[in-house]
Amino acid sequence: MNTQIYRFKKLIAITLTPVIFAACSAGPIKPEGADMARNNLIQLQSDPQLASRAPVAIQEAELAVRAAEVPQEDVELGRHLVFMADRKIAIATYQAQSRLSEDQRKMLSEQRDNARLDSRTREADRAHMDAEIARQQAADLQRQIAELNAKDTDRGLVVTLGDLLFDTGKATLKGGTIGHLNKLAAFLNQYPDRTVMIEGHTDNVGSEDFNLGLSQRRANSVMTYLIHQGVASNRLTAYGKGENFAISDNESATGRQQNRRVEIIISNTAAGQ
Amino acid sequence: MTHRLTRMKVIGVHGSLLQLITAVAILFSLVACATVPQPPNQELAAAETAINSADQARAVDYASAELQEARTKLAAARAAVQQEKMILAQQLAEQSRVDAELALAKAEAIKAKEINDEMMKSTDVMKQEMQRNTGDKQ
Repeated sequence: MNTQIYRFKKLIAITLTPVIFAACSAGPIKPEGADMARNNLIQLQSDPQLASRAPVAIQEAELAVRAAEVPQEDVELGRHLVFMADRKIAIATYQAQSRLSEDQRKMLSEQRDNARLDSRTREADRAHMDAEIARQQAADLQRQIAELNAKDTDRGLVVTLGDLLFDTGKATLKGGTIGHLNKLAAFLNQYPDRTVMIEGHTDNVGSEDFNLGLSQRRANSVMTYLIHQGVASNRLTAYGKGENFAISDNESATGRQQNRRVEIIISNTAAGQ
Repeated sequence: MTHRLTRMKVIGVHGSLLQLITAVAILFSLVACATVPQPPNQELAAAETAINSADQARAVDYASAELQEARTKLAAARAAVQQEKMILAQQLAEQSRVDAELALAKAEAIKAKEINDEMMKSTDVMKQEMQRNTGDKQ
């Protein structure tokens, strides 16, 4: 009796199984788009930048994709589940991207701080360099003053040009000593804030009037030469002082030669020091 | 041995009876459900909450299409409730919710990236300025 029932059951099972399978294959199908959703999810899950940054959302997307992958009789339901899966994947992706941006922000702010620090360091370096340049310039000035044989006096820097500049009784500059004047012109062009007084002096040979006139003409000659060298005329004044400001005795030839001179007084200014 | 088998069979027969009763009960309850469908209130509320959250995050500025879709679907879900198409209503409400959540996530991602871009830009400007300044001196 038992065996009979068992046999009958087995027969039914054998007969029905193919029928059921046939029904299955004809009925529920995997919803369209589920495979695509799975691919998209795999892509997100294998993205080294994003995969670890939205674990909860990715898990939800995983569940949604699994639900979408189940074969459905109801095509509309299948479509709905695929839609939900697609959206969950997109949400997870955006959340991971947000998190990635936040994580990158620390690095970006470090970069910005470094750039700021760099710019300040360079600014300080630049200030240091400016100071160095100023020091260099001051040293240059001292060297140039020494080269010009200038004396630092209360009236300013005094450069004395000897009478070798001029022929006796003449006011025309001689070629030989012009090098010294060129140095002076270059110096004046380098320090445009300084004004210049040019004073002509003579010995006591000849009449006082003549000497006054001669000293004025000689001072003018020097001024004209400096103007030709590019020194602005409004910085220059020329005076003929005649024979009354001797710096040596007029008794000896050497003394008289020292008295025949042109003095150039360069004002001391705060600028350029 | 045989005795035990017979006992099991008896239990089996009883089990089948129980299953039949249960099946009938479930069938009845399903029929009952079908005749008095419940609106998907929970899903509708969730969709509304999600839309509000997206609104507060100014998603309209960054993901207006997604937000609009969420609103349209919520309205459609409510219309489906009116027509007593509760399954459709539930699906639409669920879709509305994920649309709104997507709008929010997208807006947040764009905002986060904008901040980073701004930071990179200011760093670049600083670097360029620095190069220009040093260039002047050299």
